[in-house]
Amino acid sequence: MNTFFKRVAATAVAAVALTGAAQAEGERYVLVSHAPDSDSWWNTIKNGLALAGEQMDVTVEYRNPPTGDLADMARIIEQAAASGPDGIITTLADPDVLSGPIRAAVDAGIDVIIINSGTPDQAREVGALMYVGQPEYDAGYAAGVRAAGDGVSSFLCVNHYISSPSSTERCQGFADGLGIDLGNQMIDSGQDPSEIQNRVMAYLNANPDTDAVLTLGPTSADPTILALEQMGLSGDIYFGTFDLGGDIVQAIRDGVIQWGIDQQPYLQAYLPIVVLTNYHRFGVLPGNNINSGPGFVTADALDLVAELAGEYR
Amino acid sequence: MSSFDHNPIVAMQGIEKHFGPVIALNGVSFDVRPGECHCLLGDNGAGKSTFIKTMSGVHKPTRGEILFEGKRMDFASPRDAMEAGIATVYQDLAMIPLMSVTRNFWMGREPVRRVGPFNFIDFNHANDVTMEEMRKMGINLRSPDQAVGTLSGGERQTVAIARAVHFGAKVLILDEPTSALGVRQTANVLSTIDKVRKTGIGIVFITHNVRHAMAVGDRFTVLNRGKTLGTAQSGQITPEELQDLMAGGQEMVELEGSLCGTV
Amino acid sequence: MSDAEAAIDERIKETSGLRRALIRPELGAIVGTIAVFAFFIIFAGDSGMFNAQGILNWSTVSAQFMIIAVGACMLMIAGEFDLSVGSMIGFAGMSIALISVTLQWPVWVAILLTFAICIAIGALNGIIVVRTGLPSFIVTLAFLFILRGFTIFFPQLIERRTIIGGISDVAVGDWLAPVFGGKILGGLFVWLADLGLVDVFERGTRAGGPVVDGIPMLIIWALALVAVAHVLLTRTRFGNWVFAAGGDAQAALYVGVPVNRVKILMFMFTAFCACVFATCQVMEFGSAGADRGLLKEFEAIIAVVIGGALLTGGYGSVIGAALGALIFGVVQQGLFFAGVESSLFRVFLGVILLFAVILNTYIRRIITGER
Repeated sequence: MNTFFKRVAATAVAAVALTGAAQAEGERYVLVSHAPDSDSWWNTIKNGLALAGEQMDVTVEYRNPPTGDLADMARIIEQAAASGPDGIITTLADPDVLSGPIRAAVDAGIDVIIINSGTPDQAREVGALMYVGQPEYDAGYAAGVRAAGDGVSSFLCVNHYISSPSSTERCQGFADGLGIDLGNQMIDSGQDPSEIQNRVMAYLNANPDTDAVLTLGPTSADPTILALEQMGLSGDIYFGTFDLGGDIVQAIRDGVIQWGIDQQPYLQAYLPIVVLTNYHRFGVLPGNNINSGPGFVTADALDLVAELAGEYR
Repeated sequence: MSSFDHNPIVAMQGIEKHFGPVIALNGVSFDVRPGECHCLLGDNGAGKSTFIKTMSGVHKPTRGEILFEGKRMDFASPRDAMEAGIATVYQDLAMIPLMSVTRNFWMGREPVRRVGPFNFIDFNHANDVTMEEMRKMGINLRSPDQAVGTLSGGERQTVAIARAVHFGAKVLILDEPTSALGVRQTANVLSTIDKVRKTGIGIVFITHNVRHAMAVGDRFTVLNRGKTLGTAQSGQITPEELQDLMAGGQEMVELEGSLCGTV
Repeated sequence: MSDAEAAIDERIKETSGLRRALIRPELGAIVGTIAVFAFFIIFAGDSGMFNAQGILNWSTVSAQFMIIAVGACMLMIAGEFDLSVGSMIGFAGMSIALISVTLQWPVWVAILLTFAICIAIGALNGIIVVRTGLPSFIVTLAFLFILRGFTIFFPQLIERRTIIGGISDVAVGDWLAPVFGGKILGGLFVWLADLGLVDVFERGTRAGGPVVDGIPMLIIWALALVAVAHVLLTRTRFGNWVFAAGGDAQAALYVGVPVNRVKILMFMFTAFCACVFATCQVMEFGSAGADRGLLKEFEAIIAVVIGGALLTGGYGSVIGAALGALIFGVVQQGLFFAGVESSLFRVFLGVILLFAVILNTYIRRIITGER
C-alpha cells in the first residue's frame, strides 16, 4: 500500500509538472452545472462557453450530473478541483451540498465564479470571485409586480424542477410581487412533457378562476403552451415564463405568452470565461457582481431573439 | 433373499387420494423392506407421482394408512417424512447445477465450526465427507468445488442418492432416476442402487422401463389407473407379463407382435 | 467398491492448477479492473486523477457504488431484485433530515429510527414478494414510486421545500453522526503533507493543511460491508442458503432451506445498505434532497452484473460486485480526467457492460457446465 501510494504520489508530481508546462499556452476552465442531461436550456450555456473558449484561446470543459443529483454534482466539483484547472465556474443550486467542495477548491488555489443559481451573498460566502446571474427571488418579484399591474390576482406556477430551492423562490417572488399567498398555486409538474401538459390541464380544470400561468423555463412552458391551446385558453389566460426557447418566442409572437424573462444564460457562461482569462492574464477584475438578467422579452423587437433562440438567446 | 426375514420399514395399506372429483389413487397397497429394491412400475398417468408425494409427505392420503416401522404415521410435511428417514430423489429437482458438489451435498445441513462468536461452514470436513461418499458410490470427483452442472445426469442422481444415504435414510424413493439417461449412465445408476441396497436401505424404484426394473428389482408392483395390480417376486414374472400389466390388458401383446417385440 | 471401479471420464481434460485458480466468478471483474486502470494510467496519468485528491475522488464515488452494490449482489444471488434502492436513498436521507431538523430530535435518534423504518420497508418488500409470488421486479418498482412520492410529499407538506439543510449544524457533537460522516486517519495525511506527498491548501482558513484531510467513513463502510458480505456468503451456512434460494428455490425447500426467510432477510439487507449510503451522504453534505439517489438502483445492478453475478440468481460474488463498483466509479470520474466529453460516459458504460457480460457468461459456462 505504501509503495503504491508513493508511486501514485510520484505520478502526481510528474502530472503537476506537465500541466504547469501546458498552462503557458492556454488556461483551462471547467464549468459545472446542476442540470440533468435532459435539460436542453443549458445548450445556450454550452454554446456561450465554447464561443468564449474559442475567442479567448483557452480550454473549456462542460460537466453536469447526468440525473441532476446534486450530491453527484458535489463529486464533480471535487473532481474538477483535483484536475487542477485555472478556474471553476459553477452553479450554487444547493449551498448545503455544494459549499464544501467549492470552498475546498477555492482554498486549493482555484478561482471560482458562481453563475445562474444562488445569490451574490452565498457566492461571497464560499469565497467565489463574483456572481454572474439573475437573482431568482428578485426576478420573480419583478415579474409579479408587472403582472399585478396587468390585473392578475391568482396564478398557477408550473414547477418542473421542484427539488431546486431557487425554482421555488421564483414562484414565491412572483406571489409576493402580486401581493398574494403562494398557497397551493405551485404544482410539481415533473419533467415529462405529456405529464406536464396533463397536470396543467387538470389544475386549470379544477381551478377555472386562475388568472395567470407562470412557467419556469422551456421544459414547463412548451407543454403548457400545448395545454392552453387544447383547452382553448391560448391568449385568453395571462401567461408569463422564465427563460426563452424556440417555442416560447413563437408563442410570444402569437400573443399566447405576454412576456418571457430572459436571464440571458449565454452571458453566464461567456462572461465568466472572459473575466477569468483577463484576471489570469492581466490581473484585472470587475469590481462587482454581474446581473445577466432579468430582461422582459415581449412581442416588440422579437426578431433577433427569434433568430438566435435556443442557440445564443 | 434375506430381506424377507424383516418386517417392512414402510407399509402403505389401501391408500386412496382424491383431488376434488378426480380419484388419483384408488386403493394402493405397497411396502418396502430393508435391503430390498421394490420397483413400482406404471405407465404415464398411472398415479406414480401422486403415490410418491403421498409417501414422502407432500400429500395426505384421503383414505388408508401409512405404517412406518409398524407404527401408524401422519406426515404433515416432507420435512417430517425426511426426519423419519424417508428420502426422496426427484427427477429434476435433486440438485442446483450452479452450486458446487459439496454445497449441494450439505445443503440445509451444513456442518459448522465455531470461531469465536461466529459459525463458519467446516469446508475441510464437508469436502472430505463428500469426496468419500462419492467414492463409495463409485464416482471420483475432480474436485468437491466443481459445480453440479459439470456432472453428467447419472452422476447428479448419484450425488443425490449419496446425500440421502449419508444423512441416514432408511427408505430411498427414486423417481424415474434412469428415464433421461443414456445406456452407460443408466448402468451406473443401477449399480449405485445395488450398492445402496446392500447397506440395508429399502429402495422404492419408480420407473416405466421394465428392463431397468428387472435389472435390480427384488419385487415388482404395477400401478394402473390408480390401483395396484399385485406384487410379484423377482424370478416369478417375465418382462412381457410386466409390460402387459402396465399397459393394463392383453392388447399390448398384439401391439408388441406388430412391432416385432421391440417395445 | 474399490476406487478402480470409478473410472475417470477420459473426455474431461486435466486442468492445471493455475487455470482452476483463474476461473472464478470474479475473473471478468478483475480483468476489467486491470484494463480500466491501465487505460486511465495511459490516458489520464498526468491529469490529477492519481494525485491524492483525484484518488480520493474516484474512491469515494466507487465506495458509494460499492455500498449499494453489495446489497444488490446478495439479493440478486438470492434470486431477487430491488428497484427501490434509489428511492430508498432519497427517502432515508429525507427521513433523517425531517426527524433531526424539523422535529429537532437528536441526530442519533433520527439515524436509528430511519434505519428501523428502512429495514422495515425492506422486509415489507420481501414479504410481499414471497407471499404473493409476484416478480420482485414489479413489487419493488411499485416501491420505487411510492418512496419517491413520499420523499417529495413530506418535506413539501411540512417545510414547503424539497431540500432540507442544516443537518450539519444539528449534528455537531452527536455521537453517531461521525460514524457515517466523519473522516479517519487525518494525522496520516498531515504527515504525508509534511513529507510533500500530498498537496496543501494555499489559502483560506485551512491554508497549510493537506488537501485530503482523512479517509471518509463512507469508504470504511464500503470496505467493511464488502468484507462482511463476502465472508457471510462464502463461508457460512446462511450464505449457502442464499445461493440455494436463488439457484433453485424448490430444490432448496425440499432439503429444508427456509427460502422465504432468506429472501426477506436479503431484502432487509439491501434496504440497510441503501440506508448506509443515504446516511453517509446526508452527514457529509448536511442536507437531504428529494431527488437524491435517482437511478442508483440501476447503477447498483450494473456494478453487480459487471462483477459476474447472474441476473436470474444463484451465482455471483461480492468481491466481483465490489470490483464492478470500482470499475463504474473509476470510469465515471476518469473520463473527465482523460478529457472525454461527459455525454460519452454512457457509451463507455454500455461498452464495458456488454464486454463484461459476454466475458462473464463465458467464464460461468466453464465453471458451471451450462450449455
